[in-house]
Amino acid sequence: MSVENYRSNYTFAMDFGTSDFKFGPITLGEQPRIVNNRGYFPDKKSVLYRAFEAASDVVVGDDVPLYLQSAEDLASRLIYPMRNGMIERNDDQAWRVVQSLTSYGLEAFKPPPNNGFQGYYVVASLSSISPRYMYERLMAAFVENSHGMVKAVTVIPQPFAVAIGHGVTTCVVIESGHGNSQVCPISKYPIRTAQVALNRGGGDANAITSEILKDAGYADLANEEAFVRKVKENLGLVPENLNDAIQEAKRSPRLVRGRYKVPGTRVEIDLDKDSWSRFLIGEYVFNPNHEIFESYFNRGMPKPRDVKMGDTVFKGMLDFGEAIVASVERCPVELQPLLYKEILLSGGNFSWTVPPKLQGIAVDAPCKVKMLLRDRGIKNVSVKMTSTPQFSVWHGCIIYGFAVPENYEWDWQRLEGWMKVPN
Amino acid sequence: MGAQPAVQNDREQGVSFLLGADKVHVLILKPDEMAQRNAILDALLNLSTLKFAYQLVYLAAPRLFGTSVDASIFRTRGIGLLFYDERRIDEAVPAQTQTEQTSRPPQQADTTLVTELATLRTMYLEMERTIIQLRNDLTTLRIPQPIQDLEPRIAMPTREIQSQSNFPTGVVHGGALPSYFLNNPWLDVLSKRGSGEREPIAG
Repeated sequence: MSVENYRSNYTFAMDFGTSDFKFGPITLGEQPRIVNNRGYFPDKKSVLYRAFEAASDVVVGDDVPLYLQSAEDLASRLIYPMRNGMIERNDDQAWRVVQSLTSYGLEAFKPPPNNGFQGYYVVASLSSISPRYMYERLMAAFVENSHGMVKAVTVIPQPFAVAIGHGVTTCVVIESGHGNSQVCPISKYPIRTAQVALNRGGGDANAITSEILKDAGYADLANEEAFVRKVKENLGLVPENLNDAIQEAKRSPRLVRGRYKVPGTRVEIDLDKDSWSRFLIGEYVFNPNHEIFESYFNRGMPKPRDVKMGDTVFKGMLDFGEAIVASVERCPVELQPLLYKEILLSGGNFSWTVPPKLQGIAVDAPCKVKMLLRDRGIKNVSVKMTSTPQFSVWHGCIIYGFAVPENYEWDWQRLEGWMKVPN
Repeated sequence: MGAQPAVQNDREQGVSFLLGADKVHVLILKPDEMAQRNAILDALLNLSTLKFAYQLVYLAAPRLFGTSVDASIFRTRGIGLLFYDERRIDEAVPAQTQTEQTSRPPQQADTTLVTELATLRTMYLEMERTIIQLRNDLTTLRIPQPIQDLEPRIAMPTREIQSQSNFPTGVVHGGALPSYFLNNPWLDVLSKRGSGEREPIAG
């Protein structure tokens, strides 16, 4: 069987997201399998576990709910290894979960015997901020625990996979998740030296929403994270211009009135005369520098700070326009106009809707980014949301695994290529 | 792995088994014994004396017993408590060995939550069994058979521990590529990796 025919069946992708682990071979077509990116370490001292269960150190995948024991143990036994996109070098529990997930994923698609299977070409993806030791440990997990299921393995950054999945070879991919955001220029390769990371994500929008709820008289609910997130998703707005939007909201409060009822409960939020504050939620994500936020910082809301994680410095207060310009201007001059022409937004933190009656006052994420760039003199830009945000990383990994020649060997300087797995 | 039957004294009521190196004894209180005045007290006293012969001892009682008992008495004595009914068994209080009792203070566990979680687990297992049975029934219905040739159903395993190998084929065969392959310039770009073009250092 030629390599191309072989890989048309045996290319395998794994996307390690902060919440979900998406995996599967090319033969799944459009959608991968999805399980939570977590593992459970059961208490093997329980007599029922010992009497009826086979020994398993880490439980992953669909079986996790079956093994959950006392609620008080959840915090120490239920591990989400990639909550911030990174795993600490010495966090052995988290690495054991990742190793178990890789085995779980491959075992779920074990081909029937005696059909010529020699192992999958596996493409795994990690956050673009992952330091080198994460690549080392993940590759080691495949090499040491292949059991004949892996022929070769490679790891690519998630923004790179997004660009591949969308069929755009020169672009800027902006990933924004719960904890942080990254601006990643791509031109046939990831331009890693030009990446800019922000210490700001959906969690910060939750923080400002919580303050708004307190001001509106809902202090008791403001500490419930899941509820605050729901309010953010249903009431948060991104203003075209914050000053204009607040003025309009105060002039026409009925137009902007924010009400949200939690389905299946009697809990209802009505921001009433404070509904203008809906625009603060979206603005804070894109640009936390407006003076109106100073009062929130002064009374204790954490101000996004510059932090160093692994090899990367995350900027706290840089707005998205400034971050994109800073990133693109680290690239060759002749490449810069091409990069501005293809800006892809990826991640849940960019999912902002515009109620029809608020057109012209509220905008969506692509429009906001365009305006922030326009304010910095960048006019010929095209900004789009990724069309399949849930699966674009997995799609990109599949294409990468299918297309890259098998003799392109892994190199630790360029962080690309196939690492062959001895079987 | 799993429990093995253990030798027990003929006069001892209940069941004994080995779990690894631990000898475990479970004294089962039947529903009709609940009405007897001294049955529960008798059971507890028996178990207290058996603690010297077994590493772990349990009282298995009907679920109704749970409404009238304070589980802390079992914890302080290191005696385990199991509740049962027609559908399931739940470990309400884990037993403790003599060493554990003396070296650790009793833990405050939310037995209600533990019981509820165990109940949910058992319900899930039952649902899974039901689905497997329904699937088999559907398969049987699809295969035409003369009535006199129907064979007795083979008992299915109660739970499939491992996912079945799911190996769909044919999506990529015959040119039927997924949509994200179509007109994707990366196929050409990536196929030229290592062909001599200048490649960046990751940094």
